Amino acid sequence: MKAILLALAGLLAVCLPASATQFYYEVDGKDITGVALWGVQDRPVKEPGAPYRYLPTEAGHRFGFSHVNPVTIPKEWVTMHRNCRMSVRQQIQMEVTASLQYLAMGAHFSKDVARESVKLLLTNNVPTPALLAGAPASAASVSFRFSIPFRCSATFRCSIPFRCSESFHCSVPFRCFVNRPGFAKMFFDAASEEREHAMKLIEYLLMRGELTTDVTTLLQVRAPERKTWEGGVEALEHALLMESAVTKSIRNVIKACEDDSEFNDYHLVDYLTGDFLEEQYKGQRDIAGKASTLKKLLDRHGALGEFIFDKKLIGIDI
Amino acid sequence: MKVIILAVSCLLAVSGALAADTCYQDVSLDCGQASNSLAFRRNSLPRCNAVYGEYGRHGNVATELQAYANLHLERSYEYLLSAAYFNNYQTNRAGFSKLFKKLSDEAWEKTIDIIKHVTMRGDEMNFDQRSTMKVERKNYTVELHELEALAKALDTQKEIAERAFYIHREATRNSQHLHDPEVAQYLEEEFIEDQSKKIRELAGHTTDLKKFITSNHGQDLSLALYLFDEYLQKVA
Repeated sequence: MKAILLALAGLLAVCLPASATQFYYEVDGKDITGVALWGVQDRPVKEPGAPYRYLPTEAGHRFGFSHVNPVTIPKEWVTMHRNCRMSVRQQIQMEVTASLQYLAMGAHFSKDVARESVKLLLTNNVPTPALLAGAPASAASVSFRFSIPFRCSATFRCSIPFRCSESFHCSVPFRCFVNRPGFAKMFFDAASEEREHAMKLIEYLLMRGELTTDVTTLLQVRAPERKTWEGGVEALEHALLMESAVTKSIRNVIKACEDDSEFNDYHLVDYLTGDFLEEQYKGQRDIAGKASTLKKLLDRHGALGEFIFDKKLIGIDI
Repeated sequence: MKVIILAVSCLLAVSGALAADTCYQDVSLDCGQASNSLAFRRNSLPRCNAVYGEYGRHGNVATELQAYANLHLERSYEYLLSAAYFNNYQTNRAGFSKLFKKLSDEAWEKTIDIIKHVTMRGDEMNFDQRSTMKVERKNYTVELHELEALAKALDTQKEIAERAFYIHREATRNSQHLHDPEVAQYLEEEFIEDQSKKIRELAGHTTDLKKFITSNHGQDLSLALYLFDEYLQKVA
């Protein structure tokens, strides 16, 4: 008998941690009683002695458990129109996506050496000759390690067109510059900045009486599309392209909020034009300037030029 | 004359190399080849990198650390949405919003910090990496009531803290291949201590709020939520 009890207790103990995560749905403890709570809300009264129930969230809402019932406020002041709202929401997602892409750039330039593991897919026939110049398809991964004149930027374009019959990982020595703390810092900062842009737009929507529903669906976090860059110039140029796309998208938001035949959203348009576009244009100019300075440096002094430029970015003058 | 000097210096270099000096050997080997081969193989010193202690070769500490950055990244944006939700005109709980905003900021900073740490150990960041530690988690919803949201935050912080335990356990296994005191120390110093405080704080909040809500036959509900929000504005 004792053994059975012990086993039961053990079973309970095992189960408990699993249910612990749900404790907030729980109506527990004698002195709480569903009676008092539900009584206040004019909800069904729990019979004395009846078992306490676990309420799933939805039921919790329905019974008005532990929260104040929603109140109604006049909505005349909530004036944003659908198209405008939707385009701002999309813009928020775009800023988030940009922040993730900048994170990947920061991660790339933080690396100590360029050591990309690339999945190469080989067909029975020799695939694209340009890729495997000098390396027969039958070559083992190690033996053609040094025989592919790879460039960083080529990696992702290369691995796609093959139909796969055999695949293996191989470490390819890229001719790209990593170990660039200055660039890494710049891109990590840019990532935080994009996140702040998203927050600013969210704040704006909140001010205008939006985001009372559908908040969860506002944004998604997906892994950034691109992971490697050939060097500082290529990354800066990519950043510039990204910023241009963001700028263009902000202009489209402005258009959507301005062109609505029933409601021209002057204030949002002004905010986007004055605050966001200004920052975009300044930022673009900054990146473009950096890119051309670096490109000029690289003209004669590839490795040294980028090294010096990188140190400049973290504030070390050599 | 120049050739002789080069040959001598290479000989010296090779003879001076110990078995463990693998990067040194890579560099020395290049001496024996034509100078343009060094240019061609400019990234081909395969053993000259930051990897030591067999980081990433055995076990899953390296991939778990990547996944840990991704966990922080996702939670950071989820917290941001919660902060937004509690700041709309209907909920209007500035204190709760502030609490979530702070959690979001912290998780974001940690994301960047872990990425830097991953690359510090000679690895690269993989944004697709997920943990091998299986945790059942339903889709995140931010449209919750105050106490529910606090409880969710507590659960999420526990998830993050328990993941740190898991990685720490992997890093401190008593095996020469798996033992990684550097990762263990990093987790202890940057995560574990703060996490315990954070969890205690959130647990305290839920206890308090639950008591306020349910005491006095639930009559205090609306005032309790209001005051607790005011309190959170001060302390969060």
